[in-house]
Amino acid sequence: MAALMRTKVELFYDVVSPYSWFGFEALCRYRPHWKMDLILRPVFLGGIMKEAGNRPPMMVPSKGLYMQKDLLRNAAYFGIPLKLIEDPFHVMIEKGSLRAQRFITAVAHERPEYIEGVSRELWKRIWSTGEDIVETESLHIAAKAANMEDSDILKCLKLMNDSNIKQALIKSTEDAIEYGAFGAPTVIVHSKDQPEMFFGSDRFPLIAQMLNEEWKGPLPDPIKN
Amino acid sequence: MAATTPTKVEFYFDVVSPYTWFCFEVLCRYRPYWNMDLVLRPFFLGGVMKTTGNKPPMTVASKGFYMQKDLIRNAAYFGIDIKLIEDPYNVLVQKGSLRAMKFLTSINLHCPMYLENVSRELWRRIWSKGEDITEENSLKEAAKTAQMNESDIEKCFKKMDDTETKEALKRTTQEAVDYGAFGAPTVVVHTKEGQEMFFGSDRFPLIAQLMKEVWKGPFPDKNSKL
Repeated sequence: MAALMRTKVELFYDVVSPYSWFGFEALCRYRPHWKMDLILRPVFLGGIMKEAGNRPPMMVPSKGLYMQKDLLRNAAYFGIPLKLIEDPFHVMIEKGSLRAQRFITAVAHERPEYIEGVSRELWKRIWSTGEDIVETESLHIAAKAANMEDSDILKCLKLMNDSNIKQALIKSTEDAIEYGAFGAPTVIVHSKDQPEMFFGSDRFPLIAQMLNEEWKGPLPDPIKN
Repeated sequence: MAATTPTKVEFYFDVVSPYTWFCFEVLCRYRPYWNMDLVLRPFFLGGVMKTTGNKPPMTVASKGFYMQKDLIRNAAYFGIDIKLIEDPYNVLVQKGSLRAMKFLTSINLHCPMYLENVSRELWRRIWSKGEDITEENSLKEAAKTAQMNESDIEKCFKKMDDTETKEALKRTTQEAVDYGAFGAPTVVVHTKEGQEMFFGSDRFPLIAQLMKEVWKGPFPDKNSKL
């Protein structure tokens, strides 16, 4: 069954969200397997929540407790070295991810080939090694770990405070909201007649079905990984 | 290979919840495949929500919209004939499921062999045929379709308003909350190391992992893809 066109798949994500990390890695792993054109769209999750009138799950205490176990089980399932954040309110809400997402947006504009690597390094900092992602130094280290050139890093660090980058992040966030997003990760599959929105990292069997592809679990190519 | 003790799996359910129907059917399908002792626990989701401070997803408008699509897609995936409820606030919130869950609790106490089938018929009424599940006739119709005999239906219907039944429903609901439940479906897997709670109909790969079983997708008997 020859399909000539690759299906456009947009992933709206914020590095503050661990489930977004699972979704991100799974989609990256499937790039050689599925006929899709994966487009990474950094958004500001705080903005999505506000607009949708939604609240983070941890606002319901028993959801928060459950989430700790669910994250660790999912991390093992997806093969991602996740470590629970010791002070989630401080890290995820007080410090948050606005600067990190602005930086990623700047990278998307200047050096889009590094957006995947930089996003991954920022996820590793906040959700694996328990390190900061708001300080300029933190962003610099993450970009360096993603093999970006120093000059490009400095350019992006400056650019992230420009109004056009701030606007780009707002626009990306608004695009997600227009698709019906209320959280992250939000995946848009552009197939057939209209874009179809999926929320979460646990809809891959349904996403695969929509793409007319096969979901072989989170590690489609264990040897390559 | 010596047979080992089956893993006890407690399934807390309320027929008001469509995702719970998906989970129920899958667990029933896997009974011949997984070494488990599936224990059905009718509870009251409204009570869980109240106690935990949680709210149904539809209270966030865009979640409500998304849920309509998500339900239809999941229904196709799980092979269950779901029809979206036309007046969800009236059916799910105002009318709700307290009477249905009391009736199922009474069946669980007095005629437990019918619990599975009557639950299924009640799900079919509310989530497939768009029929009532609060009136006396509705509950008795469901039981009749589930092949319960007249006298058993009368007995269980009469006893559903007993203190014993009310207490049993309260107790089961509290048990779920004590396990950390905040919604439905809630699945509790009892392993040697302890018990693990799972929420939702989308954690089967993780449940299988914990039970050291194989997840073959929603139709274990077919040669289907995940």
